[in-house]
Amino acid sequence: MEDYGKNIIEIPLEKLAIVAGEEKNAGHRLAQACATYVNDKYELLYSFEEDYAMTTYKVVVGLDEEVPSISRIFFPAFTYENEMKELFGVKIKGIVTDYNDKFYRIATETPFLKKKGGK
Amino acid sequence: MQKADIIKIVSILAFIVLAPVLGGLLEGIDRKISARMQRRVGPKITQPFYDVLKLFNKEYISVNKKQLFLLLSHIFFVVFAGGLFFGGYDMLMVFLSLSTASIFMILAASSTHTAYTGVGTVRELVQMMCCEPAELLVAVGFYLASAVGGIHYASLGLANDPSFMVKDLINVDKPAIMYMPGFFIAFVFILTIKFRKSPFDLSTSHHAHQEVVKGLTAEFSGGAYAITEIAEWYEEVMLLGVVALFFVTNNPISYIWAALAVIIVFFLEILIDNTSARVKWDLMFKASWGVILACAGTNLLVLEILPQVLRH
Amino acid sequence: MPKKTVIPFGPQHPVLPEPIHLDLVLEDETVVDAIPSIGFIHRGLESLVEKKDFNEMVYVAERICGICSFMHGMGYCEAVEHVMDIDIPDRAKYLRTIWCEFSRLHSHLLWLGLLADGFGFEALFNECWRIREQVLDMVEMTTGGRLIASVNRVGGVLKDITPDMLKQMKAVAENVGRELVPVADTFLNDYSVKSRLCGSGILSKEDAIALGACGPMMRASGIAVDHRKSGYAAYGNIDFDVITSNDCDGYGRVYVRIQELFQSVEIVRQAIDKIPDSEEIMIKPKGNPKGEYLMRLEQPRGEAFYYVKGNGSKNLDRFRVRTPTFGNLAPLVHTLKGAPFADVPLLVLTIDPCVSCTER
Repeated sequence: MEDYGKNIIEIPLEKLAIVAGEEKNAGHRLAQACATYVNDKYELLYSFEEDYAMTTYKVVVGLDEEVPSISRIFFPAFTYENEMKELFGVKIKGIVTDYNDKFYRIATETPFLKKKGGK
Repeated sequence: MQKADIIKIVSILAFIVLAPVLGGLLEGIDRKISARMQRRVGPKITQPFYDVLKLFNKEYISVNKKQLFLLLSHIFFVVFAGGLFFGGYDMLMVFLSLSTASIFMILAASSTHTAYTGVGTVRELVQMMCCEPAELLVAVGFYLASAVGGIHYASLGLANDPSFMVKDLINVDKPAIMYMPGFFIAFVFILTIKFRKSPFDLSTSHHAHQEVVKGLTAEFSGGAYAITEIAEWYEEVMLLGVVALFFVTNNPISYIWAALAVIIVFFLEILIDNTSARVKWDLMFKASWGVILACAGTNLLVLEILPQVLRH
Repeated sequence: MPKKTVIPFGPQHPVLPEPIHLDLVLEDETVVDAIPSIGFIHRGLESLVEKKDFNEMVYVAERICGICSFMHGMGYCEAVEHVMDIDIPDRAKYLRTIWCEFSRLHSHLLWLGLLADGFGFEALFNECWRIREQVLDMVEMTTGGRLIASVNRVGGVLKDITPDMLKQMKAVAENVGRELVPVADTFLNDYSVKSRLCGSGILSKEDAIALGACGPMMRASGIAVDHRKSGYAAYGNIDFDVITSNDCDGYGRVYVRIQELFQSVEIVRQAIDKIPDSEEIMIKPKGNPKGEYLMRLEQPRGEAFYYVKGNGSKNLDRFRVRTPTFGNLAPLVHTLKGAPFADVPLLVLTIDPCVSCTER
């Protein structure tokens, strides 16, 4: 069986909504989405599945870049996007159900974003 | 004072004093048997008394002062209904007092206006709608059965008059169950609702693992909840008394049969509780009205027609 | 127009096994809207990668949740092993498979009990948990812990199971299969139970795909995806079918999970029969992980994702867990809309919520 865990394709930010739309039209389902903070940039992963096959797209964005929400295309994305927004501070715009940083009840803002010079 | 009056007063007093004791013990036995059915050890039989004593020691908090008054009215009418029953008074009065008690319970619950009690109260009204017809029909059934069965009125000098009075109903030649088995089935069925047992523990349950938590009784704290518990014991004893009434005749041996019947019915309720899931209100409504109409309704028709057939 | 009331459901509610909060908008007894909110037990475990090295992270992964503990540890280890190109010894793969299935057994039995309690069937609840106890005893005997097994390491497993223990495990699994028969019969055929389960929480096949449902929730909607089929651990050598149901409702989800219990018993039996004899159960990892990998595996509650990104140092850049409950939140909201209030606890339970996992 093909090793889908390594199947990660990097795409530019502009293509994110287009790719999501294509995946939706193909009848695939959103498997997961997550953010990583590396080298002062966010790496956003979006995985889509069709039965056992999985494609993962990686979008690298700067700290201040705005990311369009895909929750209008894939409704379940709202949980993942709220999480990214709250834990990492990714600037995601237009989430269907936006919890406004109240998804998790935490005391600190963007705890997963390492402070500059802090580490 | 006549002998009959003394007996009446003694039995009313006995009910007021002994019913909570008996009711508490019954609940203890209920818990124990339930636990054994679930392969648990279970609490000791006297545990309900400790629970109620502990509740009395807790602080009473309520958002509405009227609640306590309404609850006291509830327990008063339950005791009143039981007193009427064991004092040998009118069956209709007994069930109407019991309904009045339920109304006070609903008022007490809804006096606090919280979401969970709100849902619980509406469900309690539905439960009343399922129980009341059966209760009233049972009273009517006893009346008609006494007409057919021929009450033993020789000592009173009256001849074959039907009666709603409990003191007359226990003085019959043949047990009422012979004439009203359908009513008996309907009554046992609604007992499941009255005792708040699964599958019909919708408005409030004996345990809080339910979507409305404790529903109707969720807002009663401390002593107020203890009062509801004690009222429930009174009610339980009274309703089991009605079960016994189906079997009692002027023959003293019949009391043994009645006691046996009460034990079987009580065990059956526990068994049903432990072998069914909680159903939704619409199914409860359909089931109880179906049983009431099919069993009690048919029985009623037969009792209506039978005297005329016998007369010819 | 009926009056609308908002009922706060949870986080502290007797039918909820773990804290999740739902704001339910009710019209009489019908739910018209439900807004979930979580975050009462968020611990930020993922960010511990900054402080713990990749070997120590196994302990953290295992402690994400008590019920899914073994598979979290295993998922993390498999992901790191993929990054580091470690092929673990065959015996270790089989041992992982056996413990995996024991986790599934106790997790599903726990869930069945909670569901029975949710619809007010206490005797059934106690029966399920009584059966579960022997499964836990076996886990304790072989690993030393009842829930947190802590036997996974990057490169294999820490403890071996002796042949005697294997024999006993097989006997217990078979016994569980036997004792389960009457319980399954009650769940699937009892009138009052069926009156609660049938037709509650309909999730069509299309909705299941669109809303990203996973695990038994998805399989109960007729989608045959079980990631054990992708052949991680020793599942590639074991013969089993994906269990699905076309009921799309609560009954279907119960059916799928009950059949999976019987299937788990069968998988345990196969794994114990096929386990190779070898002393080697662990390969010591050399160097540090560099690269990224997205591991998928089938938790009792559905597919879980473990994303690991290493930069060549002993601390990982990112460790991310996506648990099945997180994926099932959207389907839950969907099924809650239009459901009667009495069904709310059941619907929350039918996704088999594991909130500790979800919030990490």
